[in-house]
Amino acid sequence: MKPASQFSLARVWTMVIHEIYITKRSLEIFFDIFIFPLINVILFGLISRFIFGQTTTNQYLVLGVLLWEIVTIVQYNITVSTMWEVWSHNLTNLFISPVSIVEYLTSHVIAGVIKTSAVLAILAVTTRAFFHFNLLHIGVTNLLFFAINLAIFAIWIGVLLLGFIFRFGTRMAAISWGLIFLFQPLTAAFFPLSVLPHWMQDIARVFPATYVFEDARRALGGGTGILLKSNLLILFLNILYAFAALFAFKYLFKKSKDSGQFARNDLG
Amino acid sequence: MDGMTDSVLKVEKLVKDYGDYRAVDNISFEIKKGQILGLLGPNGAGKTTTIQILVGITNMSSGKISYFGKDFQKYRQASLQRINSTSAYNTLLGRITVMENMMTFAGLYRVKDRRKKITELLERFEVSHLAQNRYQELSAGERTRVNLAKSLLNDPELLLMDEPTASLDPDIADKTLAWVEQLRSQHNVSILFTSHNMSEVEQICDDVIFLDRGKIVSQGSPADHTKKFDKVEIALTFKAPYERIIKILDSKKLSYQSHETGRVSIYSPKEEAAVIIAELVDAGIKISNTQIHQPDLKQVFIDIARNRK
Repeated sequence: MKPASQFSLARVWTMVIHEIYITKRSLEIFFDIFIFPLINVILFGLISRFIFGQTTTNQYLVLGVLLWEIVTIVQYNITVSTMWEVWSHNLTNLFISPVSIVEYLTSHVIAGVIKTSAVLAILAVTTRAFFHFNLLHIGVTNLLFFAINLAIFAIWIGVLLLGFIFRFGTRMAAISWGLIFLFQPLTAAFFPLSVLPHWMQDIARVFPATYVFEDARRALGGGTGILLKSNLLILFLNILYAFAALFAFKYLFKKSKDSGQFARNDLG
Repeated sequence: MDGMTDSVLKVEKLVKDYGDYRAVDNISFEIKKGQILGLLGPNGAGKTTTIQILVGITNMSSGKISYFGKDFQKYRQASLQRINSTSAYNTLLGRITVMENMMTFAGLYRVKDRRKKITELLERFEVSHLAQNRYQELSAGERTRVNLAKSLLNDPELLLMDEPTASLDPDIADKTLAWVEQLRSQHNVSILFTSHNMSEVEQICDDVIFLDRGKIVSQGSPADHTKKFDKVEIALTFKAPYERIIKILDSKKLSYQSHETGRVSIYSPKEEAAVIIAELVDAGIKISNTQIHQPDLKQVFIDIARNRK
């Protein structure tokens, strides 16, 4: 027998396919990650056009709404997908197979990125058609950096929330959907950081996503070129947070197994 | 097999504490190749916790678990690749189809020629016609059969079965037991089996462990257990007030089980049975029917459960 954990890409891919099966068969998930974001983008776009007309402010808002969907869909895919397994009493079935927690998390991140890419493409086309907004105006390289940084931001928040769900059970279910929206104002997703009260600006500066949204608005204004230094700094900050979140997750996962909560999660 | 051993599972001094509460108290046992071991005990005895620890979804407080001669903590994935589990309390994902569920687990166990293997198993358990149905649409019996099929995807050498026949009708429960026996006879699979149905356990288990409050209180073959159990069941039908007979039984500190008004089962040493009946008659209890049953696993179970008070 081979010792310790052997990371298997085949098992990761199996879990990605499993995720696709669930998405394909669940109207709720289809609405949550495809329809509601679409409605959101159109609604915000129309409201801002009504209030601001075809101005830069309108464009900022549409940009913020589009980029924010990266955060929500990636995070949703990590936490809410696990809740489906818990509600179906299938989570322990998965974990008595050879799949490791690292493989499980990796698969959810990959599935989240695939879904987000698909949704973002649809939303980008929609905003182009409805609001003459071209997402690529911020620059392809910048967009790639922003998307990666926002995805990492969503991943570490998702992993942290998942740790709390494993540790404290389904009573934490509400946070799997709801908590991420707390970060919407706190990261100044839809408006410049300066709009926030001073004390909130100090909190907002803690989160890497805040700098992404600020940079995205600057890039949309034009003339910034590729924001390489800033993007790399955000990436570095994000990675630090990701390590901290993984450390916390590892602790919560162990506590969940020590207390028996992990097994009880499946018993309803 | 690795480790040049016939031991499929070895549990040594397993302890699980939840704060001040000890759920599993220093238990040790072993399962050999092809052996079916029953793990029995009243609710709260520690069976489920033990199984959860054995499959790695709950951490032990101390002790050692070895599969195929290798430490489970060091060889978790490799061990899980060679074992499988099915429980009445776990289900597969409801909203996807049976085939999609099976494909997922076949992928996780890295089964070769997956569709062929899945089709064979679904046919064996007579559920191949349900392959494209959503799992949530299946009846309890159909789910159990699909779960059994899932648990055999990796050709396990050890199968942990937690009450596999719970909530099944007698026909399907009987078929399930036949499949379990077939697994052992044809594939030499070792099985750890829990059930509250004592006749099932007597039918298929080579050895039985009784757990009570986390401790092993009795271990041996079903025949050993009943031999050790020196009590018989005296089933009485009587006409006296219920409270009166209960008062007499309580005063003699006898173990008993009341079924309904007018019927009671008393568990007493064989040699005292006649004396107890005579005493009840002397006390004015009008007994209309008496039956004395030789001990079986059910009585051993009831005795353990009653004596824990």
